[in-house]
Amino acid sequence: MADHDLIAAQLGILSARLPAQVVEELADGLQETYRSQLTRLGDPEAAARAAIAEFGDADTVTAAFFRDSPWRRMAVILLATGPMMGAVWGLGLVSAQMWNWPIPLSVRIGYGVVLVTVAGTLLAVVREKRAYRRTRTATLAGAAALIALDAVMLAAVTTVPSAASWPVAVAISASMLRITATVHALQKCCF
Amino acid sequence: MRAEALKGHLDGLLLAALEEGPQHGYAVKEALRESTEGRIDLPSGTIYPALHRLEQAGLITGTWSVVGGRRRRTYELTSDGREALSGERDRWQEFAGAVTAALRTRPWPTTT
Repeated sequence: MADHDLIAAQLGILSARLPAQVVEELADGLQETYRSQLTRLGDPEAAARAAIAEFGDADTVTAAFFRDSPWRRMAVILLATGPMMGAVWGLGLVSAQMWNWPIPLSVRIGYGVVLVTVAGTLLAVVREKRAYRRTRTATLAGAAALIALDAVMLAAVTTVPSAASWPVAVAISASMLRITATVHALQKCCF
Repeated sequence: MRAEALKGHLDGLLLAALEEGPQHGYAVKEALRESTEGRIDLPSGTIYPALHRLEQAGLITGTWSVVGGRRRRTYELTSDGREALSGERDRWQEFAGAVTAALRTRPWPTTT
C-alpha cells in the first residue's frame, strides 16, 4: 500500500500498463524515493510531488520500458527481416512455378490473409506506447504465427517434387534460420 | 548532465554502481548520483528497464526479498558482468584519451 494518494495513483496507472512483478519493483523504488523526499521536505504533499518528479511520471517510466522491451525489439527484427524473407520466397516460388502446384486457392488466400494480419500485428506492437502486456501477447502471437507460416511453406515445398531449385533451397534455409532464431529469442524472453 | 550524453555509457555506469555489492534499483540510482557528485541524476524509473535488460543479457542477476513489508528486487554483478565492466572501462579510457588529445588547446604558432 502506498504512503500517499499521488504515489498510489501513479502506481495504479503503471499497474494497468506493466507486468505485476515490474510494478512491485517500481512500487518499492517509488516508495523509497517518496520517503527520501519526505525526510528532506517534511511535507507529504510536496514530498509526493517531488518523488514523482525525481522518479519520472507514469508516462516517462512506461516509455523507458517500451524502449528496452525485448518484445518490441523482437517485433522490430521480425518486421525488418520480413521484406527480405518475402523476396527470397518470392524468387523461390517463381523459380519453382508455384502456380502449377496442387494447392487449393482457398489455402493460398488464407495463407496471405494470415501473413498480412501478422505483419499488421507486429507493426501495431512497434507503434504501441503504453500497453506493455498487450505488446507481449501480440508479439508472442505474431512470432508463433510466423513460425507456423514458415513451417507450412517448408511442408509445401518438400511435398511438391517440382520445387527443387537453388532459390527454393535458399528460401528453405532462410525459413529454418528464422524459425531457429525466433524460438531462441522466445526462450530468452519467456523462460 | 544531459541524458543524451550518456547514450552508450549507461550500461557501464550501472555495472560500475553494482561493483561494490548488491543494490536495489533506487540504491543504484543513488550510488550513481553520489559517485558523480550529482552530475548524473537520472529519473529513477528509467533505470529499472536498463537493469532488466542487463539481467536478460546475463550481466547481473536479481533476487527478491521482503523489506519493510514490501517486495524488493536486489541486483548483483555476475562474472560476465564483471568482465563486461572491465571491457567498458578499457574502451572508455581509450575513447577519453583520444578525445582529450583531440580537444587539448595548442599554443598559437609564433609569427616572427
